Amino acid sequence: MKYGKVSFEDVSVGDEIPPLGKGPIQQIQLTRYAGASGDFNPIHQDDEFARAAGMGGVFAHGMLSMGFVAQALTDWAGAGTVRKLGVRFAGLVRLKDTVTCRGRVLVKSSKDDVHLVELEVWAENQRGEKVVTGKATLALPSRLPT
Amino acid sequence: MPIQVNRDVVGKVYPPFAVTIERGKIKEFARAIGDLNPFYLDDSVGRASPWTDIIAPPTFAITFRSEATDSGAMLRDLGVDISRVLHGEQEFEIHRPLVPGQTYLCRTRVVDLYEKAGRSGPMAFVVRETAITDSTNEIVVTLRHITVVRL
Repeated sequence: MKYGKVSFEDVSVGDEIPPLGKGPIQQIQLTRYAGASGDFNPIHQDDEFARAAGMGGVFAHGMLSMGFVAQALTDWAGAGTVRKLGVRFAGLVRLKDTVTCRGRVLVKSSKDDVHLVELEVWAENQRGEKVVTGKATLALPSRLPT
Repeated sequence: MPIQVNRDVVGKVYPPFAVTIERGKIKEFARAIGDLNPFYLDDSVGRASPWTDIIAPPTFAITFRSEATDSGAMLRDLGVDISRVLHGEQEFEIHRPLVPGQTYLCRTRVVDLYEKAGRSGPMAFVVRETAITDSTNEIVVTLRHITVVRL
């Protein structure tokens, strides 16, 4: 079965990946992510706790948004292609926010039959404010005979 | 009055711990993100794949925890309360996908701690690295976490 949706030769520097829209974020998703990830920090569950901590209320796990960014990459290139993903959590994602994940190809390189594309990736909320910024490296299949 | 963090944590190596990945945990994690990729969820798609099984999504290794080494342990070592911490940055270097049924060894150490002035006051940045190896001691995933402490 073919798992890569794009081949190395199909990609050009400057290409943007299809944006992935997620949300609106609901409390139940944060509770579900807490259970699945093991991160039970009450700051993502308990509004009173989050206010007392000076955070102005509950906000989403940064790792949930990073999971969205990873999904945008694998929806485009296929599962198992991500070799490196590094992000900074630049802003808080609140309940009812929508998150749109985007990426743009910066560099292509090939070495010993391994074909890599490096992308800048980011996620923004409904106001266009960046909530995640970072970089990713993906290994893509080649259509050319080796 | 800003709080002090215990700088002695730099260089601390946490006790290694083993994790055996349960198939259901991979699916639960993918569904929690809302990522319904069949390579994470469908056993028959997994069997027919190059990995001969389902694989874990790229950020799955964040679920590897143990009482003695999780961020709660780090917070105790730093001497700070959980309400003061934020996740600043996170990086995964993935040499190959994690798969169910395999047992992996996790080794975490604190590699750096620095302070900076943030928008809302002074902050400490604690950098941890976790190396995840397989049963042949080959590196599979490396994680780099940066935790921000509001001082």
